[in-house]
Amino acid sequence: MRPFAPWIVAVVCVSLLAVVAGASGRSRPEARIEALEVAVENRRLMVSFHLVDAFGDDLRRRVDSGLPTELSYELELNRDRKRWFDKDLETSRLQAIAMFNAVTSEYLINFKQDGRLIESRMVRDRDDLIEAMTHFDGLPAFDLDGRDAESRYLLRVRARLGVRNAFGWIPRSLATDWIESRKFRVGDG
Amino acid sequence: MDLRRRFLRHRKDSRLILGGLVALLAICAFVYYTLQRGRGLPAQMATNNVLLFVLWYINIILILTIVFILVRSFFRLLIERQNRILGSKFKTRLVATAISLSLIPVMILFPFATRLLLDSFDQWFATPVSEVVAEAHAAADELARRLEEDGLRKAGLVLRQVIGIDLLDLSQQADLQDRLQRLRADLDVDFLAVYDGTEPIYGTADVAAGFRRMPDPRGLKRLLERAIEDGEASKVVAEPLDVEGQLYLAAASGRRSSSDASAEPATVVLVGTLLPPDLADRRARLIDAYQSYLQLEVQKEDLRAAYLLNLLMVTLLVILAFTSISLRLARRVTVPIQALAEGTQRVSRGDLDHQVDVEVDDELGRLVTDFNHMTSELRASRTLLDRQNLELAASNERIAAVLANVAAGVLAIGPEGDILTCNSAALAILAQREDEVVSRPASEAWSDPERAKLRELAELPLVDGQRLGRQLQLTLGGEWKTLDVKVTTLPDPAARSGGRVLVLEDLTELIKAQKMAAWNEVARRIAHEIKNPLTPIRLAAERLLRKHGAADPNFATTLERGVATITREVDSLKGMVDEFSRFARMPEPRPTTIDLAALFDELVHLHLDIKPGVELATQVDAGAETVFFDLEQLKRVLLNLLDNAIEATEAPGRILLHSHREGDRLHFDVIDSGRGIRGADKERVFLPYYSTKGRGTGLGLAIVHRIVGDHHGEIVIGDAEPRGTIVSVRVPHTAPLNTAPLNTAPLNTAPRDTARSA
Repeated sequence: MRPFAPWIVAVVCVSLLAVVAGASGRSRPEARIEALEVAVENRRLMVSFHLVDAFGDDLRRRVDSGLPTELSYELELNRDRKRWFDKDLETSRLQAIAMFNAVTSEYLINFKQDGRLIESRMVRDRDDLIEAMTHFDGLPAFDLDGRDAESRYLLRVRARLGVRNAFGWIPRSLATDWIESRKFRVGDG
Repeated sequence: MDLRRRFLRHRKDSRLILGGLVALLAICAFVYYTLQRGRGLPAQMATNNVLLFVLWYINIILILTIVFILVRSFFRLLIERQNRILGSKFKTRLVATAISLSLIPVMILFPFATRLLLDSFDQWFATPVSEVVAEAHAAADELARRLEEDGLRKAGLVLRQVIGIDLLDLSQQADLQDRLQRLRADLDVDFLAVYDGTEPIYGTADVAAGFRRMPDPRGLKRLLERAIEDGEASKVVAEPLDVEGQLYLAAASGRRSSSDASAEPATVVLVGTLLPPDLADRRARLIDAYQSYLQLEVQKEDLRAAYLLNLLMVTLLVILAFTSISLRLARRVTVPIQALAEGTQRVSRGDLDHQVDVEVDDELGRLVTDFNHMTSELRASRTLLDRQNLELAASNERIAAVLANVAAGVLAIGPEGDILTCNSAALAILAQREDEVVSRPASEAWSDPERAKLRELAELPLVDGQRLGRQLQLTLGGEWKTLDVKVTTLPDPAARSGGRVLVLEDLTELIKAQKMAAWNEVARRIAHEIKNPLTPIRLAAERLLRKHGAADPNFATTLERGVATITREVDSLKGMVDEFSRFARMPEPRPTTIDLAALFDELVHLHLDIKPGVELATQVDAGAETVFFDLEQLKRVLLNLLDNAIEATEAPGRILLHSHREGDRLHFDVIDSGRGIRGADKERVFLPYYSTKGRGTGLGLAIVHRIVGDHHGEIVIGDAEPRGTIVSVRVPHTAPLNTAPLNTAPLNTAPRDTARSA
């Protein structure tokens, strides 16, 4: 006798897994993205934004401990459409990874875009570190070559701040809300 | 199931179990290895977010798997119980016990282990440790800060000494070099250099400290630029070239004229202080230890989560493994038992072809094998029984046919007294219908006075195997009938009071025929016996008439002789008639206890010297000294037998009177060494008027036979060894309770060996 068919079992397991995964998923911190500006220069989308209230005591202590500390930013280039399912055009991931050398009292910051190292910077001051990891001005985000010049686009950005543990042992990813830029056309630049 | 299939099945099971155990062992080994390796890895490796999520999802999957297995088992058992499947209760208990045994220890242990783990974490970050590490790090920081401040101060002092010198003026180069060398010695620094902007002009270093060359300007460019920009700057070179230890660089910049900052490059003084290798190492270790501690503290929550998840994963793996094994073990037990229970139910419903198809190698397997063997045996037995039933039915039909056609009536009476069956002959003899007899108690079927005699005979106590024979005269259906009734007990395997079988033989016509034949014989013999005396009487009468007619002078003598002859023959006729009267009117026996030895002696004494050369002897065995008998009739029996023996025995010869016990019977044997009796005569000597001697009435042995019959005995004639005859009279040793003589005795019922009076 088989009280449950295998496909029923599979559906129940996946559903439960999804529920648990959702519960252990993202948490909304105090940090937020502000001053999101976009500009089109030479058919490239340049992005500027600030992440504020991200560096709390936990993050400061983590950086001072010498551990690699990462703030990652997810950027989405969307078409300005009402239908949600055809908006997403392109995504990019920007990582700012800081490491503190306690012997020389210097912070090394590596910036990666989509996995490629684009810049390394050394600072001695923590404020400089925070400034470097949270303030981006004129960052080239997407190449707009081939995009329809008459279409309107917008950019969405959010920051991922790491993982916190709910109840001490359930990992939850910390991320800010998505912030949307003004709408723009390729020909605006 | 053939051997190959059993082997493959067994191999499959073993492989599964072995595979499961190997997998569990591998997982445990992997977890142990990971934990061991994790101790040596940097903390961030152990708290990697990906690792945390992987662990978390593995645990979720394990939890879901266990929950699924338990829920599935629960519902399966629930459905089985609702459907009342045989063995489901036992299976539920067994599965519940097995799961409890696997879950309870782990459930009890897990909270303790968790608590222990958390306490251990708290101990790691106990306050004293934290303070010590922080203070040590503060000391190391203070050392670095002081070195940097001291370097900046000295750089400022040197800058003030050289600020007025035109660095590009070659005439002042010598003075600059002297001054810098003196200042390096005075200020006790290990390295001193002057830069025009970022271009090196002159530098001096302590060769004894290990400096071989000037630092690479490219590596110092950023420091020099900061110094030019901010007036001063410092830097720590953790691993300088050529020298060991840490190099603390401090730079100070200034311009000779402050009016035009961009017109001339700034003068930059760079001072280097080398921290000796041992101190540098100590500082580095302090910083490293502090950072490691800080990393641990920062990752405390992640570490705790990772260890908890690891512990939870191992716990869940153990639960999963033991739950699976428990369920499998439970299934290994319950499946054969359930199959056996179902098999038993099917067999009880008559399905003897059912075989339990479960393969197990333990005692349950033996039970299954025995069950299947038992079922096969039952099937074979039932087949045999069916065949035997068919044969029995055929036999019964044959017996019924035989019974229906035999002249004798046959009845079967059950242990409870019910008449089970009877054949048509019995119904005809008893003058009853079948519905008046069959399936009715004998007391009801034979309640009338006549048939009650038959019922009483049937109810006489008998031991198993004993046969009882009687003749009954009954008036049935208005006819007077003589029945020969034989009663036999039915063998009873249950050792209860068995039933009876009655065989009825209607002797009425036979007895009539026998009587007719006997009377014919009697008439013939009487006529013959009467004719013998009548002839002399007639001859005497005729002679008297002739003598009288002839006036014979001797008539008186002839008359006297004739009268004498007639008188003698008439007396002979009278004696014969008296014998007839005695035979017909045998007196009622009056039995008493008789001393056989005295009787034998008396009889022997009477016959002494009757026939010289013939010896008379007596023998009375122990236990046969007395007999309960009518004395006169016993004397008559023995005298008759003794007379016959003496007459048959020629000298020299021997005659023995012998009494002995045979069971509950007393035997009187008259054994002679005479000429013996021919086989055909042995059957006829007891018939009235039968004689082999050619004289006498022929009633002697007939009277003996009747006397013995009246005393519930029998008389048997046999051959003695080496020659002669044994006439054996067999009577009950003690007085029978019912001493009433039988009304009749058949005239021809003296068989060769076992003639009975009945």
